[in-house]
Amino acid sequence: MPRYELALILKAMQRPETAAALRRTVETLMERGAVVRDLENLGQRLLPYKMTKHNQRHSTGAYFLVDFYAAPSILDGLLDHLHRDVDVVRPAVLRKDERAPDSSCCGPPP
Amino acid sequence: MKLALVKMLCVRGLQRLKAALYLHRSSTHRSLTSAAALQKDDAPMKAETPSKEPRRGCVLCSVTVDFKNVQLLSQFISPHTGRIYGRHITGLCGRKQKEISKAIKKAHSLGFMPVTHKHPQFMTDPRICGIKHLD
Repeated sequence: MPRYELALILKAMQRPETAAALRRTVETLMERGAVVRDLENLGQRLLPYKMTKHNQRHSTGAYFLVDFYAAPSILDGLLDHLHRDVDVVRPAVLRKDERAPDSSCCGPPP
Repeated sequence: MKLALVKMLCVRGLQRLKAALYLHRSSTHRSLTSAAALQKDDAPMKAETPSKEPRRGCVLCSVTVDFKNVQLLSQFISPHTGRIYGRHITGLCGRKQKEISKAIKKAHSLGFMPVTHKHPQFMTDPRICGIKHLD
């Protein structure tokens, strides 16, 4: 199965609510047959620009990164589900390339 | 007429004789010189040019470019407008310039990097790009 990365921006909430939102997201992933590999917290920061989502203006957000293996067919449904989640400000699923870095780049070989 | 023909024949005959003799002579001559030439071996030998410069790479040759690494990406944008610098300013090779450009745009759309300016936290980072600002 190809490897994907979910760059998730959650609304700035209290710790138990953030935990609940993350749990919900990971459970959704697992329900759809994905294998969650890693969950990283990139911290709560000021957003680079104000974002409007679900009739709310957000200035701060909590950044998370979810690594998972999944079939490509679930991605559409997953993104739709995440867009409808009130606590999620901006979801994005990216494909993770497992290619080794090309050695044909300019410059002397390492 | 007859005299001329006879003369020609004689000349021709002489020419042929000469040719035969010379051939014989040159073949023997050649065999002697060819043996000597092999022993000398003055064919040009292969060597690297002494004035060859080592291959220089761009700044990001051994660095992986990621959209999450906002600090790195911010080094290639204008601090005032947030515009991405061109190749003639960054000095990157084609491949890395494209990677940086794509990563910056991805970071913009995913909400990791500001679009119209550079994050004030990264204003004091070392300057890689060869552009002088007035301030």
